[in-house]
Amino acid sequence: MRSPRTLEVWKLGTVNYLKSLKVEDKLVSDRKANRIPDTLLSLQHPPSYTLGKRRTDHNLLIPEADLKGLGAELHYTQRGGDITFHGPHQAILYPIISLRSIGIGARNYVETLERSMIEFASVYRVKARAGHKGETGVWVGDRKIGAIGVRISSGITSHGLAFNIDPDLKYFEHIVPCGIADKEVTSLRRETDTMLLHSEEMMMLCGRKILHSFWTTRRRSIKTNSPSGLTRFNPV
Amino acid sequence: MALRMWASSTANALKLSSSASKSHLLPAFSISRCFSSVLEGLKYANSHEWVKHEGSVATIGISDHAQDHLGEVVFVELPEEKSSVSKEKNFGAVESVKATSEILSPISGEVIEVNTKLADSPGLINSSPYEEGWMIKVKPSNPAELESLMGPKEYTKFCEEEDAAH
Repeated sequence: MRSPRTLEVWKLGTVNYLKSLKVEDKLVSDRKANRIPDTLLSLQHPPSYTLGKRRTDHNLLIPEADLKGLGAELHYTQRGGDITFHGPHQAILYPIISLRSIGIGARNYVETLERSMIEFASVYRVKARAGHKGETGVWVGDRKIGAIGVRISSGITSHGLAFNIDPDLKYFEHIVPCGIADKEVTSLRRETDTMLLHSEEMMMLCGRKILHSFWTTRRRSIKTNSPSGLTRFNPV
Repeated sequence: MALRMWASSTANALKLSSSASKSHLLPAFSISRCFSSVLEGLKYANSHEWVKHEGSVATIGISDHAQDHLGEVVFVELPEEKSSVSKEKNFGAVESVKATSEILSPISGEVIEVNTKLADSPGLINSSPYEEGWMIKVKPSNPAELESLMGPKEYTKFCEEEDAAH
C-alpha cells in the first residue's frame, strides 16, 4: 500500500516568460534529485510568443522586430509543440512531476492534461473535446481553446498547458497557432454566456479543477502555497 | 487505437524466438495494459533505451514499451557523427503528442553513424523500434558499462513494475 504522494501548488500571479523558464529549470533539477515533491505552477504570462524545439518560426507571420510594438516578446524553448501565444487572462499550468514514479509516459500524461481542460470547460457548460490525431490540444468544435506543450527530461515534466479564459485573441492573428492553419482560436468568454468570475478567481478555479481531475484519482494530497522563496509576486 | 497497438505489438512479438512464449503467460485481464515486446540479445536501460553490442559497434534505440508510451513520434533530434555520448546523459530527443522527451545514452562512446531515415520518417521508431527505428551507432569507450544494463527478463519485469506503479 503506497503512502499518498504530495503535490505542491505554487500560485505565482503574472510571471515574465524567461523568469518562469528559470524557475522551471531549477524545479526540474530539484525534482530529479528528489529534493522536492511533485510541484504545480499556476500563473499567467505577459504577452509572449513561444516556439518549441522544432523552432517553427515560419509560423510567426510578422517580423520579429514588430513584436515590441505589440508589447510582446518571443522566446525559443525546448518544449514540444509549435508556435503559440501566452497572455493575460490565459490560465497557465506547469506541472513539474516525475512521470517515472507514476509509471506513465508522454502520451498518457498529455491525454490527462487534455481531459482536465475538457472537465474544466464543462463546468461552464462548454462542450470541449480532445484534438484529432496530430492536433493535440482542446477544441470546441473547430476552435482551439486549450494548448499543450511539454518537455520531459529524465522523466520529469516541465512546461504544460495554457487554457484561454479571456485573453485578447487578436494576438493570435500574427501566428499560425500551433502550426495549424485555417482553424480559429477561441476562449471560454467566447463560448459561454455564463458569467465569468474575476480573472484571479477564475485562475484559482481553473487550476483547482485541473489539478483535482489530474490528481485525486491517484491518491495524492495537495498542498497549496505561495512560497516566500519566490519574491516579486504580482497578482493579476 | 488500443487494438492497433495490440496488433502491432503481437506482430513484433511473433518475430521473436524465446520471448514469444511470454504471450501465453499474460492473463486476459492484463491485455488492457500495454503488451510490449522485449527482444532477446539486447541490453536495456531503466530509461527504456536498448543497446545491441556487435563487436566494436553498439547500436542504440528505444524500446517498444517506450515508443508505445510516447505516442506517435513526429520529430527526432539526433547528435552529429563523431560527437561523443555519455552513459545516462541525454544525446537527443523525440517529439510526440506535443511532448519532447529526452533520450539518454545507455553507454559512453563516440557516435559513428546516425539513422538519417528518421528525419523524414520519424514514425519508424513506432513501427520498428528495434530494427528500422535504430537511432545511433556508437563505438563504446567503456564496454564494461554494458554489464550494468538489464537483460530482457529483468527489463520485462521492470516495465511491468513501472506500469503497475499507478
